[in-house]
Amino acid sequence: MGGSTKLLLQRLIRRIPYQMLQTMLGKWAHLSNADLHSLNFTQPKWVLTEHLLALCEEKGLTVKHITELEMIYIIENPNQGMWHGFQLLDAEEDAPSIELTQFKEQFKANLTELISHVSIKIKKHTDEAIWIRVAWGDNFTKPNHLKPTYVVHHLQTPYVFVTGMTSKDKPLLNQALVLATRYGSMKDAHLSGRNLIAIRDLLTRQYQQVGLGPVPYGPYKNPNIENEQPENTENRLQMACEAFGDGTLPQLQKAVYKLETKFRDNSNKTLTGRKEPFRGVVEFSSTNLLESLRHCVSSGMASTPVTPLLSSITQKGRNYFVITDKGV
Amino acid sequence: MMLYLTTFPYQDSSCIMGKREVQIHFLTLPVLFFSVMEERKSTEETPRNNALAQRRSKSYRQSMRSCVEATHLTYTSGLLTALRIPRSRKAPKSCDITKQVDPDQVALLVKKEWQLSYVTPLYQFRHTQLKSYSKQLSAFMVSEKQQGLAIEVGQELGFKVNFSVVLGLAETDKDAETVFIQILSKQVFSAKDAAPKVVWSGWLTCVNGDLDYLRSLPLEFVSLPLFCTRGPESLTVLVKTWFEKTFDCCFGPLGINSTNLQWLASLWTGCHPTINIQYLKLVWTLPTLPPMDVTYTVHPQDAWELWDSMRQVDTTEDSISIDEVTGFIKGLQSHFFRHFRIDLSAGSLMQISTALGSSHHSGKIKIASPNYIPTILQLLTECALLKMPI
Repeated sequence: MGGSTKLLLQRLIRRIPYQMLQTMLGKWAHLSNADLHSLNFTQPKWVLTEHLLALCEEKGLTVKHITELEMIYIIENPNQGMWHGFQLLDAEEDAPSIELTQFKEQFKANLTELISHVSIKIKKHTDEAIWIRVAWGDNFTKPNHLKPTYVVHHLQTPYVFVTGMTSKDKPLLNQALVLATRYGSMKDAHLSGRNLIAIRDLLTRQYQQVGLGPVPYGPYKNPNIENEQPENTENRLQMACEAFGDGTLPQLQKAVYKLETKFRDNSNKTLTGRKEPFRGVVEFSSTNLLESLRHCVSSGMASTPVTPLLSSITQKGRNYFVITDKGV
Repeated sequence: MMLYLTTFPYQDSSCIMGKREVQIHFLTLPVLFFSVMEERKSTEETPRNNALAQRRSKSYRQSMRSCVEATHLTYTSGLLTALRIPRSRKAPKSCDITKQVDPDQVALLVKKEWQLSYVTPLYQFRHTQLKSYSKQLSAFMVSEKQQGLAIEVGQELGFKVNFSVVLGLAETDKDAETVFIQILSKQVFSAKDAAPKVVWSGWLTCVNGDLDYLRSLPLEFVSLPLFCTRGPESLTVLVKTWFEKTFDCCFGPLGINSTNLQWLASLWTGCHPTINIQYLKLVWTLPTLPPMDVTYTVHPQDAWELWDSMRQVDTTEDSISIDEVTGFIKGLQSHFFRHFRIDLSAGSLMQISTALGSSHHSGKIKIASPNYIPTILQLLTECALLKMPI
């Protein structure tokens, strides 16, 4: 086993949390039950790593096998790093009928044509998603397996989710995907976040159906307390749920608005007539942004009706906006 | 007493305190204190007019918050001390600080983030005894370590403490000279002749401190109210304990309330024509569930134009008033509101930053440009003096 292979395996084992290691290795096809029994999972992690390395070396495992283990881990724990949403446009006639084998062949052929040194692995997951792992090299260097790109795509839908992609690789991946899916082009959906399911649900606008069922939202109502102006509270609650949704909301961390509008404040006479935009960038961030925004509206911190700038996050499924005076 | 701050400005000619100054009187008469709060007795300094009632809204809540943060009410034993919360400040002028202060020492202070505390006046602190203090603090740290107090800084062979004076930061003749403290240590596994590394640094300073207050201090006391630290908390605690034991003083955390953050934002924005601030970033935290941060980064030129539009025609070039500052921030909040319909004053301003420096509500400050050190330190010295229990 070469030095780089060893390094790859070491890094991967270090990345996988100890509690998950046994399950992950169990799913890996290259270790038999006997092998697994020979490993002692009560030892300190570094001791176990040494044993595992020795075992893999004995079996003559290569980079190809190790990347399989990595893929198993990532598919089960996708929320590491930033996922970006993309949308495929201009479907051709046969786009809705693409089959898995056809897609696989086309994608591999296209990408290897564009860049000679690249390592591709495609796997279909149980929920009909296709996972693609790409390690990039170039004309002179071997593929770098330490920084792979992962792509998730559901066949017959126009959505693609990517993580770990650099700007250099973007056009190549773009082209290969477009050709393999039989679409005309792929554009940035301006939606990104750490939680893959959340990004998927927001982009496909499915989140209202997904989840543990409608969780009645609203502050706990103590029967002995009567609120003043209950219509206002009800109204705000309703508007909040209309804008952001009922029940569990997809976990989004940020929303970024690039403001290029004129300064709007009638009390300031000097700047009101100013022709140039008042430039700035507003970023909302939270552990669960949509929950925070919903609470913001229902508690009255945000005035109703909810501005389209905020409701666009869920209505349009994006979290990066450039706001000009002509609109979003 | 708290109400004094909320009612300004009002154009009432019966006001004897002058338009731009607020005085807080710490008196030993609890009756006065309670009566103002319970509105039973009205003094000549708090006119009961409608303007007062109308202001019990957002601005009242904000002012109350800034009052509570800024003052610490205790009763002094008969001493009448008046401290002023300024309603106007001098516009910062870019100065070449290296003309007054040794450039190497300036380098020690800038581009680092410091945690702020206040400290009460030091009893019999002598600038001439710094070498002795270095030895004493070093011995104290060793003895504390031997007693078994966990220091958690790894395996050091021993601490070396260095007290030094930073001359040139003091502005008036009543300001005591800044004292800089460094704790160095050698790691166990380092090379034999490797220089010891600085593991902790801190400095005590007083820049343009309130003259009346400083003059009122008895001669044996030295006031260096602002304490800036950087390094492991355990070492900070040790240093503070030694100071408390040796100079009979008292330390406390110094936060930077939203009014002062607004001052800093405005002061730094005002410097844009002289030195490019590159951006003006303000961060508010809104009390939603879960809490949400709103970061508004404004283009420097646009921020400066907004600030400039706030500068009233009749004020002198040199001074900036609190109205201009609050107007500036309100302008930004209102532009934000027009877009998002979220009222940022429902949250609290937590952090502001520009290329010239940054500051956080929890009492952290970073000065990136040495040219404005005196202005910033003056503001912080004021905060420290106000926060201090007198």
